Amino acid sequence: MSDTQIIVGLEIGTSKVCVAVGEVSDNQVVNIIGLGQSKSRGVRKGEIVDASLVEEDVRNAIVEAEHMADVEIRSVFLGVSGSHMRGFNNTGVHPVVSADREITDADIQDVIKNAKAINLPSDHSVVHVIRQHFRVDGQDGVLNPEGMLGAKIEVDVHVVSGRYNRLQNPIRLVSGLHLEVDNIAFNGLASSLALLSTEQKELGTLVIDLGAGTTEYAIYSAGVIKHTGVLAVGGDHVSNDLAYGLKVPLGRAEQLKIDHGSAIIDPEANNRSVDLSTDSVIPGKKINLGHLQMIMSMRLQETFELIAKDIEQAGLIDYLRAGVVLCGGGARTPYITRLARDVFNLPAAIGRSSTVSGIKNALDEPEFATPVGLIKFGAFQSQTTPRREGFGRVIRKQFASLFGGKK
Amino acid sequence: MTENQKTFSGGEPVIRLIGLGETGVKLVETLAMIGPEGVESHSLDTDNRSLSRCHQSKTLLLGQAIPCGLGTGGDVALARAAVESDRDRLAKLVEGANLVFVIAGMGGGTGTRAASLVACLAKESGALVVGVAATPFDCEGTRRCNQATGGLRDLKQASDVVFHFSNQDVVQMTGADTSLNNALEIANRHLCESVLGVSRMLLEPGLLNVSFGDLQSAVQGRQSLGSVIHVEGSGEDRAATAVEKMLAHPAARGGEALQEASAILVHLSGGEQLSLAEMNKVTEEIKQHASAVDLVVGASGPGRDEALQVTVVIAHQVKLTEVEPDLSASIESQSSEVANVSFTETFMPSGETSYVGLGEDSGGSRRGGFAYTPPAPTSEAITPELKDSLIEAAARQESDRKKRKKITQEMLPLEIVSKGRFEKSEPTIHKGEDLDQPTYIRRGMVLN
Repeated sequence: MSDTQIIVGLEIGTSKVCVAVGEVSDNQVVNIIGLGQSKSRGVRKGEIVDASLVEEDVRNAIVEAEHMADVEIRSVFLGVSGSHMRGFNNTGVHPVVSADREITDADIQDVIKNAKAINLPSDHSVVHVIRQHFRVDGQDGVLNPEGMLGAKIEVDVHVVSGRYNRLQNPIRLVSGLHLEVDNIAFNGLASSLALLSTEQKELGTLVIDLGAGTTEYAIYSAGVIKHTGVLAVGGDHVSNDLAYGLKVPLGRAEQLKIDHGSAIIDPEANNRSVDLSTDSVIPGKKINLGHLQMIMSMRLQETFELIAKDIEQAGLIDYLRAGVVLCGGGARTPYITRLARDVFNLPAAIGRSSTVSGIKNALDEPEFATPVGLIKFGAFQSQTTPRREGFGRVIRKQFASLFGGKK
Repeated sequence: MTENQKTFSGGEPVIRLIGLGETGVKLVETLAMIGPEGVESHSLDTDNRSLSRCHQSKTLLLGQAIPCGLGTGGDVALARAAVESDRDRLAKLVEGANLVFVIAGMGGGTGTRAASLVACLAKESGALVVGVAATPFDCEGTRRCNQATGGLRDLKQASDVVFHFSNQDVVQMTGADTSLNNALEIANRHLCESVLGVSRMLLEPGLLNVSFGDLQSAVQGRQSLGSVIHVEGSGEDRAATAVEKMLAHPAARGGEALQEASAILVHLSGGEQLSLAEMNKVTEEIKQHASAVDLVVGASGPGRDEALQVTVVIAHQVKLTEVEPDLSASIESQSSEVANVSFTETFMPSGETSYVGLGEDSGGSRRGGFAYTPPAPTSEAITPELKDSLIEAAARQESDRKKRKKITQEMLPLEIVSKGRFEKSEPTIHKGEDLDQPTYIRRGMVLN
């Protein structure tokens, strides 16, 4: 354990800013040694709307994590999200030109380069290009074509892109706090890295991160990422619906959601009510529990249905043999797994960060999946690009990063 | 409104165009020439001269007794007297129609006053009433503009929906350098398009029919302003061209009109080549702008040419700011007047029987009941005193009406759908649906 490396994951979420500090040993074992979090006040729908507030919140979270882990944080892996982000698949083709038709490493690099040449809108930039499978002369499912013989080599990649300016906002903010941004990662991808085991990725799993401002989802099948997406709908919307429907202030709605919320409608609840008569703001108000659950259930159900529809369009619904894994703050809603099971017709469970060790707290809470996943992402990154080179890196380079599927 | 649900006698809805005043008559003439078959056109005016130019439509001279076929000269009271004297004939004219277009230029005498009364009569007879109104240029004077505003308001209250086109818009559209002839032509074309589009939508045999019922449910009883966009796209990507033209149309106001719409009817006609993709493209574009709207799509089959014709009927919700405070009061008074006060009884000077009778006495020959375009009555038919008293009485009636208007409280919309904390953030639009609005509201769940 002499040569361990400290990797920090930072997620600037809509409800909270969260920092996880991980220790990565030579053999890629991740151990969480510190956590820091603070309430987020300057973020809406996953994107920064008040930079000065966010700056303060990030600083608080970082300081807390530094204390806990007893390290000095110099650089972070930053999670990004927002409605502007898109995930799609692309294919690169490359003819093998060498006389003996043997595929060399240079050929592989070329075909990946071709796959990266995507026709994006001018204001978009690539966040991830993730290798899925190679095809050699039409032969499918080749994991590593080096050394094989063939005339044509193709590669399928999954590309995650986002608006350049909107991606830059959190990066600039973190840089302004004298922290280096090692790389950025899509939150949905990060949480899936934290939660899924190799078997789950092989079998096919849908990971849904129910955040406060956004809901991200990622689909793994046959060991590789197949599809990602983000909806700018989250827990905030549930609270807002409740505040509107029950005619209570937003803060009170948030509390009601936490105390009495449910993802499915309990038929008994219609006759029950919550007494708010002791409340100083809205004295003497009674709230029908049935209404509360209906409003909440409809929103959550709709969110799941939108995801289900998207997956169906992508033709992936039949590949999800390992079911649905939920994480994020929304995963704490009672009966949320039952709702997910009903909507997707698949087994559903709340995710645990099973592939890492460390502070028990960090692993069991569904909210911490993203920062823990960012550490795993960081560990993969430093494996493919040795840390020594990392010091002089510029942020520009980070967009074109390649995250390899092999472990 | 139950009487509106009457059945069509011949399978097709009976559509009548009624042009009032000089502008209205001109428009109806044009429409009668180019319009689809099965539409009856009638030109009505108080001015014999303008009616004498009509060849395509049936004509009816209003107020033979009062302005004597000389026009009203912008006098609303005179026009009112003229129209009410011919109340029975007008009632007969609109009888049996399912859809009546009341086409008038606002600002003058006949068009301004007669339009709302004819609309009222048509409504009483059970027809769906669509007003088509042109309002004058700003430079035509304040009086004319004010009169137009009043007329438009009255027409709006009497009809189910009013398609309105302001001549001033032409100036904004094309710039002030346009020749007057050109400007009027553009204005007329827009108005004609509205009528043609709607009638074609209803009459053309369709693959997907937009029926009379669809139109009825979209506009009936809304008493609001609506607009019709009729565009044609041709060439390789005709759907794209049509969509582009649709959004560029002044009535669309850059898509704003679509957003504010409460119901939209879309009708496409594009011959045999009309593809599902084209239909999709047009409706998707509309959905983009108007997500939660009642959308009815129709398409008509073979028999049309190469071009793709798209007709969009937009019915707006009554905007709060547009609701005049005296709306309900005046509509009540207006309709009750029309229903209960018979002109002959009220204004007939004692000693005389009726104007028709008067004409008969002096002229000797019978004029033949409700024949169209009877010759103007001779000047002896009506004595100056009678004329004055009639005008005076009509004017009194007019001012009485104004006095009776009560100030009523404006209504707030039943439910303001608030976006709460997302009010100022970028909206989350997914397939035309605003996800920031509570789901249960979008799905129409009721908290009981």
